[in-house]
Amino acid sequence: MESEAFIQCREISKSYRKGQAIITPLERLDLDVAKGEFLALMGPSGSGKTTLLNLIAGIDQPTSGRLVVGGRDLAKLSRGELTEWRAQNCGYIFQLYHLVPILTAYENVELPLLLNRSLGRKERSKRVESALELVGLADRSNHRPSELSGGQEQRVAIARAIVADPGLVVADEPTGDLDRDSAAQILELLKTLASDLGKTIVMVTHDPLAAEAAAKTLHLDKGRLSENDKREGVALV
Amino acid sequence: MISYVWILCGLAFKQLTRHRIRSLLTIAGVSIGMFLYASVETMQRSLSVVTEATSEDNTLVVYRENRFCPATSRLPERYVDDIQRIDGVVEALPVQITVNNCGASLDVITFRGVPTESLQNYNPDLEIVSGSYQAWRSRSDAALVGRHFAQRRGLEPGDQFEAVGVRVWVAGVIDSPEAQDNNVAYVHLPFLQQASNVGLGVVTQFNVRVQSPSEMELVAERIDALFASDENPTDTRPEKAFFAQTASEMIELVGFTRWLGLGAVFAVLGLVANALLLAARSRVMESAVYQTIGFSRLAVGMIMVWEGALLGLAGGLLGCLSAGLFFYWNRFTLGNEGLTLALTPSVPVVIYGLLVAILLGLVASIWPALVAARKPIVASLRTS
Repeated sequence: MESEAFIQCREISKSYRKGQAIITPLERLDLDVAKGEFLALMGPSGSGKTTLLNLIAGIDQPTSGRLVVGGRDLAKLSRGELTEWRAQNCGYIFQLYHLVPILTAYENVELPLLLNRSLGRKERSKRVESALELVGLADRSNHRPSELSGGQEQRVAIARAIVADPGLVVADEPTGDLDRDSAAQILELLKTLASDLGKTIVMVTHDPLAAEAAAKTLHLDKGRLSENDKREGVALV
Repeated sequence: MISYVWILCGLAFKQLTRHRIRSLLTIAGVSIGMFLYASVETMQRSLSVVTEATSEDNTLVVYRENRFCPATSRLPERYVDDIQRIDGVVEALPVQITVNNCGASLDVITFRGVPTESLQNYNPDLEIVSGSYQAWRSRSDAALVGRHFAQRRGLEPGDQFEAVGVRVWVAGVIDSPEAQDNNVAYVHLPFLQQASNVGLGVVTQFNVRVQSPSEMELVAERIDALFASDENPTDTRPEKAFFAQTASEMIELVGFTRWLGLGAVFAVLGLVANALLLAARSRVMESAVYQTIGFSRLAVGMIMVWEGALLGLAGGLLGCLSAGLFFYWNRFTLGNEGLTLALTPSVPVVIYGLLVAILLGLVASIWPALVAARKPIVASLRTS
């Protein structure tokens, strides 16, 4: 079964120094996530959810342990290789959207495609339009973030995360700053990405309602995954 | 690779055009600094053109020994015949010079009295823009006025003007490849000798054209040796060396401006660096997002570097072109001891200024680029 897991975490720990103290948000954590799975990670503040998400997304590296995503051991990649890996394999959705404020929705979504040097302007345009259409914002492509609502901004951020067709999408509290209706739309969209497009989604959330949208939910506390997984299929090693 | 670099340039361009006020203020500052720099460079270049010897120079100036001002250099006009007989001399022109101000001045009026029949032969490149030689020959008080001088004073053929107690009638306006000629008024030698009270038969200097540039030194020695025991000994130097030694006040003044140019360079450097550093600090999160998406640190830094280069390019273009046009339209001259330095704009100065501006933009962007790129992504994302 291990070989089938898209994300494999084996005894991964993460420590960093803060003043004199050494903080260890994650300690000897094991986790498997299958391809195309929509996983929600819950837990109190400081439990290490975002740290785990950042490790899986390749924007941080574990202090020890083995972390394999899509067959690549991220712990062994150099900074440059990790950057390239992120560009090709991972889309990141932030709680506060983090769209580039001076760029239009279209230009924000186009950003990841600019890194693919084999794509011409026409091909980029086609993909951006498809992504914006998927999130229902084709008619807002020329709007800047300041001209969009929070829900619309988050949908643009989702379009940006998927436009380069990565296998993995990570979302850090994607509905944390949205009203209930907008949050429902975003969660529906994430479910569609997993069910229809086969994306593996890892979402960090505080909101039990949001977690319900995921196929599986895990609880993280003090750097360790707890065994209170309600459903079958999540392999806690 | 090239297309990727251009993509980063495009992102930098968007940063600048969509932060319009910040960019316009920075460009305005850069352009003022580069205007000053290009102005200083124009002065320096104009000075080097008239003072730095070249292998094609073939003109000597014979002056009264130990005299440095046209008011005190007095030589007998009859020397011209002796000079013309010296081996290697092609032609000698006696010149009486009268100026309204011997010191360094921005508004100098220079009359050059020359023999009526010699001017055209000695200066075949002089072109009559308006009026005629005929009109000049026909009146004893006639003057051929240099193009820039006429432009500054609003003079046309038929006008009369008076300066230094000399009243002349404008017979024509001349254009010459020599900047000096475009800033003086040529009058008849006997007329100027009388009008300026130096008396007939006395001139300020002789301009001597020699056969070969390699003979300049030898011919100068021969001239000075010929009159060494005369009542009025001479000091003969190549025209450019004469300018460099005689117009010392002006050269000192122009030399000082180099510091202003240096100051302008540092001001531009500081201005662009400050603008970019503020931008980099306000974009910590944005830079982290770029890196999360997959842009490398180098790419994030490159966007900042492009911004610096584009700011330098825009400010430099505006400042250097404005300086070029400013000097082109205003035709400034600096006068000292009867010599005139025309501050002439030139394409090389504009191009050089532009390159300096771009270079300054690049240098100024290095630290901001490091600030934008070196902070770890996770730490930057936490700043929200």
